[in-house]
Amino acid sequence: MQTRYYKVIRDLTSDYSKNFMLVLAIAVGVFGIGAILDGYSVIKREMTDNYKSTMPASATIEIEGKITKGLVDSVKQISGIAEAERHATLVARMKVGEKWYPLLLFIIDDFKEKRTNKAFYISGEREPVAGTMLVERTAFGLMQAKEGDELIIKTPNGTPQKIKLVGTVHDPGLAPAWQEQTGYGYITLSTLHLLGETTGFDQLRILVSENQDSKKHITEVAQTVAHRLEQAGYEVHEIQVPPPGKHPHQGQMSTVMTIFIIFSFLILILGSILVATSMATLMVKQVRQIGVMKTIGATSSQITGLYLLMITLLCVIALVIAIPLSRLAAAGFYNQIAVLLNLEIRNSSIPSWVVLLQIASGIFIPVIAAAFPVIRGSRISVRAALDNHGANQQNIHKNSWELKFSQLSFLSETFRLSIRNVFRLRSRLVMTLGLLAAGGAMFMTALNVSEAWNENLKRIYVQRLYDLEVRLNNSIQADSLLEEIKTIQGVSRAEGWSYSPTSVSKSNAFEVTQTYPDKGHGSFTMQALPVPTQLLKPTIVAGKWLNNNTANDVVLNQSSRGSLKVGDIVSFNLDGQVTQWNVIGFTEDVGSPAIAYVSLEVFSKLKNTQGQVKMLRIAYADRTKENAVRKNREVEALLERENISISAAIPVWLLQNAIAAHMKVLVNSLLAMAILMAFVGTLGLMSTMSMNILERTREIGVMRAIGATPTKIKNLIVWEGFFIGAMSIFLAVALSLILSTYLGRLIGNLSFRTPLTLTVSLLALGIWVLIIIVGSYVATLYPARRANKITTREALTYE
Amino acid sequence: MNHPQNKNLIELSNVTKSFTLASGTFQALKNVSLQIPKGQLIAITGKSGSGKSTLLNIIAGIDKPTQGSVSINGIQVEKLSESALATWRGKNVGVVFQFFQLLPTLTILENVMLPMDFCNSYPKRERRERALALLEQVNIKEQADKLPSTLSGGQQQRAAIARALANDPPIIIADEPTGNLDSQTAIAIFELFAALARSGKTVIIVTHEKDFSSYFENVIAIADGEIVNERVPA
Repeated sequence: MQTRYYKVIRDLTSDYSKNFMLVLAIAVGVFGIGAILDGYSVIKREMTDNYKSTMPASATIEIEGKITKGLVDSVKQISGIAEAERHATLVARMKVGEKWYPLLLFIIDDFKEKRTNKAFYISGEREPVAGTMLVERTAFGLMQAKEGDELIIKTPNGTPQKIKLVGTVHDPGLAPAWQEQTGYGYITLSTLHLLGETTGFDQLRILVSENQDSKKHITEVAQTVAHRLEQAGYEVHEIQVPPPGKHPHQGQMSTVMTIFIIFSFLILILGSILVATSMATLMVKQVRQIGVMKTIGATSSQITGLYLLMITLLCVIALVIAIPLSRLAAAGFYNQIAVLLNLEIRNSSIPSWVVLLQIASGIFIPVIAAAFPVIRGSRISVRAALDNHGANQQNIHKNSWELKFSQLSFLSETFRLSIRNVFRLRSRLVMTLGLLAAGGAMFMTALNVSEAWNENLKRIYVQRLYDLEVRLNNSIQADSLLEEIKTIQGVSRAEGWSYSPTSVSKSNAFEVTQTYPDKGHGSFTMQALPVPTQLLKPTIVAGKWLNNNTANDVVLNQSSRGSLKVGDIVSFNLDGQVTQWNVIGFTEDVGSPAIAYVSLEVFSKLKNTQGQVKMLRIAYADRTKENAVRKNREVEALLERENISISAAIPVWLLQNAIAAHMKVLVNSLLAMAILMAFVGTLGLMSTMSMNILERTREIGVMRAIGATPTKIKNLIVWEGFFIGAMSIFLAVALSLILSTYLGRLIGNLSFRTPLTLTVSLLALGIWVLIIIVGSYVATLYPARRANKITTREALTYE
Repeated sequence: MNHPQNKNLIELSNVTKSFTLASGTFQALKNVSLQIPKGQLIAITGKSGSGKSTLLNIIAGIDKPTQGSVSINGIQVEKLSESALATWRGKNVGVVFQFFQLLPTLTILENVMLPMDFCNSYPKRERRERALALLEQVNIKEQADKLPSTLSGGQQQRAAIARALANDPPIIIADEPTGNLDSQTAIAIFELFAALARSGKTVIIVTHEKDFSSYFENVIAIADGEIVNERVPA
């Protein structure tokens, strides 16, 4: 080995604590990137594999009437069809304790030979006999039940009945029940009839044989099938084509992962800035040695190579530590995500590109960051290196503002000197401030976005002035019913609304929606409301809200807006008929699928249901969850007495819970990232303060020689740290506002198609200020102690 | 100064060196011309701030003149790039510092091998043997595997001299090499330099030590950036 490399190794091993800090800074970043990328690669693969393994139907065609086996067989003969199956889905309700929750019932034709949207057997019975039900594994928690228990179920047209839960299945195509606050059950047609329903299979699920990932092709094939069905005398309601091959939460997951990856890289960059500042320290410490090496024949490039090699070795050590740990963290991460997405991790191998990317980023980013101080230090002239005596006064000029500022007489002598010291090495100051500001900004951004998310959740209550939405199975005359509801103590308002699934109408085509089999994801609903309504306070982002109860006006929310603009005429399918609407405004709803708001009067006229409603919205004076739960029971009891058939009762608190659960992982992970940011930022402050003091060892010796007490020197150093910390806070706040705006926009748009409102978390600011104060103090304690420990003689002869 | 019997190894012609300070421009050397033949032991003397270290730095290629030319062994040193200058210096000039300046994390042997590594001047397998031979020459071979901090000042300076000789340069320059040593050790160090000059090296030493004037073949006195006297000791 060449002699110069001994120097690299010895330098690395001569200052363990310093080098450990550098390794830690890089390792934290590499760990973050590794954990996220490893987790991401596994989840992305498993999400697709899990979902595709269920053989999700390419399209579902909903028709009026019952689908016979013969019809299914004839559809299978149509060119381009690989599989066809009849099916039915029904939204019922289940009673858990004293609360009613939605229950999605999947009515399966043949449990043995299921060909599309398969659920995988876990335990118990494989085929539920009449009066029994299989349950999706995530639903037992919500049901507060276990296999063998009985559950009270009420279908829209039936009476509450006990159904035995006889088996457990896993359906990767469904979001977890606790997340959707909806139960999932699998029954036979005979059980459905036992529950009081008379309908048969009204959904035809098809699987195309070619171009299975092409939505266009699937839609064309489904429309061909729909035409055939019409020709055979069936009335086609709707064609549902969910995004091919994509899990319902794939978009949400990609958002979360994108944010995590961005944050991980930011942590690594932050760690790399720390490495750069630390390398600058090292270069300062070694400036004499560089001068000596150059004197004995070393070129600048040889010296640059030596120090870059040193960084590379530190990176390698960091990688050796971080990679296995990131694997462990990734396992925890993807298992947690798998729970959130209801996936089964079948293959946990990490693709080699992920490992290579981790290694490359863990070496190149720190080396690039450190290259600047290393090259600058290596290029120092021999004389400058040999004449170096530490920090100089070149940046303090007679008329400089910091000199004037530091001459303010009300400041103590020590504080004034501290201020001057802060500005002596401006490039280092800029780097330190950059490091701290970046750490602080990211910390505060994470908490700001988290708080903005919570604020957005609160908007659910601001926009929805009702507490309970009751969907009815049939349109009814509700005037007297509403009056009766209003007599319940604590009910402040009640309105009758209506609704209907809809889709944008295209000429010569059937109604095509993007709805998933769970009936929730991808759905588009027309909601008809009394104009003016007192139970909805929408956020209007363009145009105006409905104000004419006889006009064919429509207001669209952000999920249904598409490329439409105010003044456009739009056609919507409504129960098979094409209806024309004037777009008068757009809303920004929180937690709603695609909705088109129209006047109840116009809607009823078009549907020929004048004076009738299909949805009740009820508001309580006390909007707490506890009160809402009690009042909901009273309302439902009243509806039961009045023999009103309920399709679903959705309390607003339940909706809020469901949305909060969707983003729980993101919010928690942002907080974890924030903690990592704070950690790396504090390391940076410590490193820079040590460097600043180290450079002035000789100067401190002079001060002590002329009578400065250890306390005075300690105060001088500590105030310097505080001053740098204080400056960084202002920068961090400014930067965090910009970052929070962009991140809030990204998360909001990808999750809800609406940006999150910029929110400043005072808690985040408070915590960061505390971290800076404590961090500055702790960071300066060691160098202050060291400065006082070294004897005056040693300090004066310090090279 | 001219020695017709010897070829001049070092020739400075009208060398001026200025530094820009906050208080204005300071001329450290003013129009200095100087010829130094091969194989001499020469002293440069003068008060603090007289310009003697600047003159030494210019000869060693550590500094470049503001005006004038520096020819060493026929090479116009001031025209070399920084990188070329480093390599040239490594091979042609051995520098000995007042505070030794050995790299603290390398052993004495490694310190001596380092110039050979940077200049790639000897085959790798020969470097260790050569370094040991040089340490033997300066009488500290037994200290080869020790770190500099464990050695006395005199031993460290011997090691620094061995390092200066590593690439067998024709010129050795030393800035106050005995300034940090006791008198007995200083004598031993001067003996070493004298032996080197006898072996054909040109040795230039900046010193305040008047007691050792007998060692020098020539003494150059500098004051206010100008050569005020050159004399051959009696």
